[in-house]
Amino acid sequence: MNYYVERTIRALLTVWLVITLTFGMIRLLPGGPLVQLRAELTRQGYSAARVNALIENYQNVQPDQPLYVQYVDYVGSLLQGDLGQSITNPKSVASIIGDALPWTMFIMITSVVLIFAIAIVWGAVMAYREGSTFDMASSSVSILLGSMPFYVLAIGLVVVFSYKFQVLPARYRTSPGVEAGLSVTFVVDALRHAALPIASLVITGAGLQALAMRGNSISVLGEDYVRVARLRGLSDRRISTRYVARNAILPMYTGFLTLIGFYFGGSPILEEVFTYPGIGYYLFQALENRDYPLMMGIFLVITIALVLSVYIADLTYGKIDPRIRSGESSEAY
Amino acid sequence: MGGEFSFETTSSDVEVTWGERLRDFYEEFVYKPGLVAWNDRRTKIGGTILAVYVLMATVGAWLYRTPTSNQAARGLQPFEVWSAPLGSTGSGEDILAMAIHATPSMLIMIATGGVFATGVAVVIGTVAGYKGGVVDRGLTSFSDVMMSIPGLPLVMVLAVVFSPTNPALIGILITINYWAGLARAIRSQVLTLRENSYVEASRTMGASTTRILYKDIIPNLMPYVLVNFANAARYVVFTSVGLYYLGILPTSVANWGLQLNNAYKQAGALVGTGALYQLVIPMVAIMGIALALILLSQGLDRVFNPRVRTRLAGESESTAGDVDDETTASSEVMT
Amino acid sequence: MAIERTQQRDAIGASDPVIRMNDASVTYDEGESYVLDGVSLEVERGEILGIVGESGSGKSMLASAMLDAVPNPGLLSGEITYRPSDGDETDILELSQSELREMRWEDISMVFQGAMSSFNPTMKIRGHFAETLDAHDADRTAGMERARELLSDLYLDPDRVLDSYPHELSGGMTQRALIALSLVLDPDLLVMDEPTAALDLLMQRSILQLLGGLREKYDLTMVFITHDLPLVAALADRLAVMYAFKLVEIADTREMIENGGHPYTRALLNSTPNLDAPLEEMRPIDGKSPAPINLPSGCAYHPRCPLATEQCREEVPGYHEGVGGAWRGVFPPRRGDQRNSAELRRLAR
Repeated sequence: MNYYVERTIRALLTVWLVITLTFGMIRLLPGGPLVQLRAELTRQGYSAARVNALIENYQNVQPDQPLYVQYVDYVGSLLQGDLGQSITNPKSVASIIGDALPWTMFIMITSVVLIFAIAIVWGAVMAYREGSTFDMASSSVSILLGSMPFYVLAIGLVVVFSYKFQVLPARYRTSPGVEAGLSVTFVVDALRHAALPIASLVITGAGLQALAMRGNSISVLGEDYVRVARLRGLSDRRISTRYVARNAILPMYTGFLTLIGFYFGGSPILEEVFTYPGIGYYLFQALENRDYPLMMGIFLVITIALVLSVYIADLTYGKIDPRIRSGESSEAY
Repeated sequence: MGGEFSFETTSSDVEVTWGERLRDFYEEFVYKPGLVAWNDRRTKIGGTILAVYVLMATVGAWLYRTPTSNQAARGLQPFEVWSAPLGSTGSGEDILAMAIHATPSMLIMIATGGVFATGVAVVIGTVAGYKGGVVDRGLTSFSDVMMSIPGLPLVMVLAVVFSPTNPALIGILITINYWAGLARAIRSQVLTLRENSYVEASRTMGASTTRILYKDIIPNLMPYVLVNFANAARYVVFTSVGLYYLGILPTSVANWGLQLNNAYKQAGALVGTGALYQLVIPMVAIMGIALALILLSQGLDRVFNPRVRTRLAGESESTAGDVDDETTASSEVMT
Repeated sequence: MAIERTQQRDAIGASDPVIRMNDASVTYDEGESYVLDGVSLEVERGEILGIVGESGSGKSMLASAMLDAVPNPGLLSGEITYRPSDGDETDILELSQSELREMRWEDISMVFQGAMSSFNPTMKIRGHFAETLDAHDADRTAGMERARELLSDLYLDPDRVLDSYPHELSGGMTQRALIALSLVLDPDLLVMDEPTAALDLLMQRSILQLLGGLREKYDLTMVFITHDLPLVAALADRLAVMYAFKLVEIADTREMIENGGHPYTRALLNSTPNLDAPLEEMRPIDGKSPAPINLPSGCAYHPRCPLATEQCREEVPGYHEGVGGAWRGVFPPRRGDQRNSAELRRLAR
């Protein structure tokens, strides 16, 4: 009980700290977003008063008020869900993010789930057939694929599948003209567009996770309780699932959520290659266009998502590893 | 027998000279683990590949010409002419030159980034894990916050704000919050190590904290640290290339990512204008070094887990199955 | 490498052995060296046999051999016959995989050192019992009933233990739970490899007592393997001593302790620490036990034996019956030897 409370407080604290950091970055960095914003607006010919008003509108920050007032205002608006106004885009930051976020999450979650599904099975088989040609070949393939950044593979896949063979689309979330909704056409279309991005993440990521699973499984296979289980007459099937897999997966769990975080962070590159309007894409666009409100807003959202996943990881790890639940080590790492 | 213990210690007649200390250090930290690691084929291959890159960066960059436009005929295919062995771009730049001259800054980046990330992680993780209490709480909260900030977006934002051009700085910038996850892992390692009896013995003997850390704890962390150094380096490679590809980092520094960007965007490598090689060559360069780093990290992992069971002499009491593990879950798998 | 066993087989003779081992050997390198070297012994039904030896003497290998569970890639050879009370003798080494699976735990069961690591950390104790019962197609309800009875015989609270995870129990509790688990299918023979090594002294003694009680109640035969001679002497009917992968002496407990004839046995007895005895009387055994690839010539103990003669260095001793039906692998003192046996024994003390 104590542990859960502590973790929750920690998570909230982290989020608050990040908000403050973001505020600091906006306001205080030399040559930082706000300064440049002001410079740009002034360059565009607005009067000082107008510039102030605009900045206030864009950033929820009132330039003339003392710092702490600005801070309180900023946090206040945040809590109301107001992330400011995008400079380059007529919509508010919040609505842009609201539109883009689900698409990014769709790709990421699908990829990570696929990666782990593949990795667990593959890794387990590799461990079972340790030393065989299958094992060696798999290990080599995993290493080779892992040495490719996912965006490089993405480019390659686009070259092959979109241009050479024209099988899968190279850009965007959906084809123009396809109506959003739960129709089959829409779903298929969305899946087709998501296929290559997901493939590039999965193909490069699964191998290394499989190797980790392999390592874990081999360690577990060497444990006493596996030997005793064999002696007790348990079937191979039972041992490989309930004993080996169940225990080998434990260390992978945190990797699972770390990977989500990593891919969240890498989404700008992936979505840029595919011109896929998710939050990564918008972040990149915002950077390019110096659209600071949008940039900061997305940054904040991604951070909160990350804090959430670590938080969930810490809390739920106890569910799958009974040893932790009893308060052994309070860290999932 | 059964006599008295004399607690008088005779002062040691042996002076440990600096030379000997250095030699010990070398042997403990470099030679022995190196020997174990070298045995693994993966380390050998990884190390050799890395050596090739170092060679490229030093000798190659020194000898071979720097890439400029119009140094060769435009749009040459690879293996066409001797003077531009890997072909040239649409503006006449020698592709091999571009690849070679991107190497030194890349190596600097991964060196500084790797050292920074692992160094900070070790310091923070060790102090937090060993000291415990308030120090621990403070440091852990700090690294938690750093860990929660998404790496790439943060780096992107900072890159835009600061526009760094020095490869060493870039390396550090890229790993500015990468160390946090490592620090956490190291902290839990230290927590376990701290309970070992030899640490308790040192403490009872009155050894200072730094001494204990240096002699008892850090040596046992080294293999783990080395493995993660290789992983951090790989992260720097991928991230830097990505950032250059996106054009976020200033183009004054040569990088394979820029080559990729060129090929993809300008040369229209995709559209089948026969410019595919412009894409492939930087890809190979990137993959090569990443491969070397993965191999190294996997091979070094062996040092960390020397669980090769002897099949013969004296092990008849072993009740566990005979297992020779190559990789274990000990290393963080960061893609 | 094989010891002469001409006289051995007839006389080690238990009258009603539950398991009979004949020239059991284990090698990991196709006969270059052995980690178990031609061991022959018989275990009397209903007795508790203690097998004693230092680390690396092959005793765990002996235990594994009894279940034909030598870890890969060891090769077990010889003849190991199991005689159930109501059935035919079977050579364990000839059994098929599925027959072996049946035999293990149903007829012969084993308890390892380090009980905590013998349980699946992600599964409750109840689950371990249930799946073992299922794997042997046994009646679950009856089996769980039996499990609860066993647990309470071992002074454990069945409900509490069954619903716990292994790490939630103390060392002594897990060890007892493991013993209960090994008995759940009502085996004839229980082989225990250092079951008390990881426990404190009080717990050790109490488990020994519990084992004695179990033997009574369930009609068990037990083989108790340990390095701790005084510990097992309290419980065992007979003791066997192992050295350098061979059996060197086997005798009734009383006989062994009072008249142990093999110099190694005597040395073991003498090396037992005793708080009351003055320091001079404590004599650890000098030297190290040999590695399998490095066996001394002749009698493997001769480098550490104060009574070693030329013959000991050259020839491997066979077994000789001593006083009280004990068997030992030494050369009997020669007729013309100056020193008489009493002297000899004094020297060996």
